[in-house]
Amino acid sequence: MQWWDALVAAGAVPAAFVPPGGPGRTDADEGAEPGADLVEGEAVAVRPVALTPAPPVCFLDGIEQWKVVGYDGAVPIVRAYVAAAVRRRGPDRRLHTAYEAARDFAIAPLAAVAPARRRALEAHCPDVVDIALDEGVQPARVLELARRAVDAARQRLERDLAERCVATLAPGEWLVVDGLLSVSAKLARHPRALGVIKSHGAQFFTGADLERALTVPAAHRTSVFRARGGHARNEVYSWYLRLWPWEGNDLLYGLLRVEACAAAETIAGATGTSGWLLGERAPLATPDARWDRLMYPIHDVETYLRSRAPRDLLSHRASRLPKTGT
Amino acid sequence: MIARPDPVPVGRVVATELKPATPHQFHFWTATESSIGIGAIVKVEGGVGRGDVESGRVVYGVVTDGFAYSDLATPLHDVVGAEGDPASTTPTVRQEIRYWTAAVLRQTPEEPLQPVPLGQVFVAGDADVAQALRMDGYVPSRAIPIGLYASGGLEAPVYLDADFLLGPEAAHLNISGVSGLATKTSAVEFLLGSIFQHFARGQIAALCFNVKGPDLCFLDQAGELSEEDRRRYERLGVAPRPFERVRYYAPLKADGVNLNTLRTHPDLVSTVEPLTWGLQEVVDFAEVLLNRDDIDAKADAFIDFLRDRVLGRTFDDGFGGEHRVQTFADLNRLFRSIFDGLETAGRSDTWRTHHIATMRKVRNRLSNISTRCKGLVTDDGPSSDLPWGDFEDRAVYVIDVANVDPLGQDLVFARVVSQLRERLERRDLGVDAVVVFVDELNKYAPGDGADTYVKKMLLDISERGRYLGLVLFGAEQFRSQVHRRVVGNAGTQVFGRMDMDELATPGYQVLSPATKIKLATLPVGELMVRHPHFTQPIFVRFPKPPVLRGRDGVERFPPAQDLPFEDAVVRQLVRLDARVRPNQVKDLIADRAEEDVRRALAAVRQQRPEDVLSLFRKVLGGRVAAEAPRERRAVPPLNPISDEPY
Repeated sequence: MQWWDALVAAGAVPAAFVPPGGPGRTDADEGAEPGADLVEGEAVAVRPVALTPAPPVCFLDGIEQWKVVGYDGAVPIVRAYVAAAVRRRGPDRRLHTAYEAARDFAIAPLAAVAPARRRALEAHCPDVVDIALDEGVQPARVLELARRAVDAARQRLERDLAERCVATLAPGEWLVVDGLLSVSAKLARHPRALGVIKSHGAQFFTGADLERALTVPAAHRTSVFRARGGHARNEVYSWYLRLWPWEGNDLLYGLLRVEACAAAETIAGATGTSGWLLGERAPLATPDARWDRLMYPIHDVETYLRSRAPRDLLSHRASRLPKTGT
Repeated sequence: MIARPDPVPVGRVVATELKPATPHQFHFWTATESSIGIGAIVKVEGGVGRGDVESGRVVYGVVTDGFAYSDLATPLHDVVGAEGDPASTTPTVRQEIRYWTAAVLRQTPEEPLQPVPLGQVFVAGDADVAQALRMDGYVPSRAIPIGLYASGGLEAPVYLDADFLLGPEAAHLNISGVSGLATKTSAVEFLLGSIFQHFARGQIAALCFNVKGPDLCFLDQAGELSEEDRRRYERLGVAPRPFERVRYYAPLKADGVNLNTLRTHPDLVSTVEPLTWGLQEVVDFAEVLLNRDDIDAKADAFIDFLRDRVLGRTFDDGFGGEHRVQTFADLNRLFRSIFDGLETAGRSDTWRTHHIATMRKVRNRLSNISTRCKGLVTDDGPSSDLPWGDFEDRAVYVIDVANVDPLGQDLVFARVVSQLRERLERRDLGVDAVVVFVDELNKYAPGDGADTYVKKMLLDISERGRYLGLVLFGAEQFRSQVHRRVVGNAGTQVFGRMDMDELATPGYQVLSPATKIKLATLPVGELMVRHPHFTQPIFVRFPKPPVLRGRDGVERFPPAQDLPFEDAVVRQLVRLDARVRPNQVKDLIADRAEEDVRRALAAVRQQRPEDVLSLFRKVLGGRVAAEAPRERRAVPPLNPISDEPY
């Protein structure tokens, strides 16, 4: 018996609700003011990037899925699934899974759940994440807390996997992580680990520097800077790289921010690194809407993880008309 | 017993709402580099049933179509990614899929019939192929090897069920394919050899009509085989040896002494028997030789009268003449006697209720037969025929009609098949079953056109032959243009390389586009087989037949030039009796009418005496020397004539 069946057997009301998607992964960090210290030149400069052959690379990404599977009164009980994988690109130019981890768990404000349902949950689900609630909190707020719990679980899984991966990278082999590198000290210090950020929530420059950074032409990069701010728990160097011409689209079209180890070698190798990262724009990661910034290998890792995720966590394509029951 | 390693799955069944798995079809994917191809037989195992327990259901299927695609949303995205440069490469290769469609061959258990489970896919081995094709029900007792199924490095013999190939359950085989690849003839030669070595339910013989070139003229001669062919023979359990008992028959040429065949090389010609028929043999098939305009009801009645009351009997013509009509020459004498009698008596225009015009018409038409089929039909003399009643087990009888005109071919075909049918009905042919191989069904049993006698006979064999043991192996280039009932009654259908235009006809709609493409490009030695036990067509490879191909045979045994009349007679007599000395024969036939010589030769051929020359001399008769006219003496008048000049 699945734990959500046990929960229903214990008196919970069955539910099948997949909340709308959240804001997505971003480099913005609440409560912290980002900033940048240029480490390459005196002002933000724009430098051309030439395509270079890619070294051996691994790519890491993660996914998260969650769904309300039952209600104990007005308290939602959530089933969540997070997964991450590292896929290594071989000499055949195909990606093969090197590391993989997943977690299927329940999220519930245990204190607010009736004893019978709580016992059923704890007896049948080995992995329950408790969320603390204040008295009289609305169910919508519980869902937001659940979303954060899922997000945190996914980040933890990604970080663990990335740290395992960098510990075993072959000489000359790189790891490209979808997201911030600075969330892990081990990653931030590794000379061949890169973070690739597609969503630009954090503002590092102002004025003319900002304009120069955000209007960098295609196949160009900005000067390298030290990312500063509360979100940067571990010091990293960073720069912007444009994959596709933004003219005719929007300002952030094809714009990536790259994070790498805070070391002099990073500055020296930024153009070369940008050269092979630029090559990753093909093949296009369509049909994903973010294809202008999404590298195909990252898209591949995500596709891989989604193909292995439980199908019953996806929202039904059919209508949500009341079920007649059988 | 050698432990077999656990088989490794090569694919996995997938089903979507748009392309679900059904009880008759399923879809699966494989790795990009896979041994699976169109025609491969696969096995599905490990489907999950209720409660995540393996269902235990095993499904066998044959791959009918294949697809490959990547996650590319539109071709334009590839252009954009390559920046318009086809030579550019990407660091990562797109995900792509090899996606296959398979038609279900068999499910175990067979009931309840359910959709194919979403299990793992394995390449079929020997035992799996036997299961998939339901061969477990008739191998080895009724198994006739047809070829090797090969896929993914695995190879398995495929057997036909003798009960469904040679009767009585179903029967007949039809083979289609483009001309010139030697696939049709080779396949039939191989299959006949296979039948002869594996058929265990009685005595069987084959009768082949050689209708073009030297195709079947060297079945008793060994051809060259490659090591691969020999390996295939071994795998199929068939000994690679030429036919041990082959009897050749060919009509004579118009000269009446030289054989009308390409098997006239001195080393081989002694094994060819002349095929000549007289009035007795031909009259029953007047319908074959005379068209509808010739044969009206009255003429038909008169021919029946001749057949029932005249031929082979002592017959009084009503004018005081007594006749025994056994040859065309006798018949002609009878007609002459009747016409003379009617004219002399001046009685009327009818004779025994038959009008003189009808009789003249029949006489003309019948007399013309021996002219039109000269060499096959003789005016006079005994016939030389197949050994009716003495057919030998595992013997091949080849009748070479390649150089006979179409009318003669029709006659040969009609009479031989009629005889086979009658004798098999009476069970006095000498064997229990006969396979009749007829090439060019497009010509003999076309789907359109008039209902000829030959077409009717082919239909009759197709529909009723299996009860008699008369089995038709038919071949043609365009199956769509052969009479539907002839093709439809063939229990086993074999296809070699096909023409795309032919494949576009409605008869091939059941085949997938990929199967059609494979058929259109099929290499020599590979066939697609449909058999009652196989729910889907199966591709097999067969070894080259162990006999000399027609073209090679003609090179190794070039046909001899036609001999002069005297030498041809000598050769035939020497063949019958090695003691015959040529000079004796030449002396005997010098200055004799060729017709008389031919008649004597035919009599010797028919009787096959101990002393050939004596009989030949006896039948030829004494030489009748022309008498010089005697000098007439003048008879003096009784009354002397006066000198008076007036």
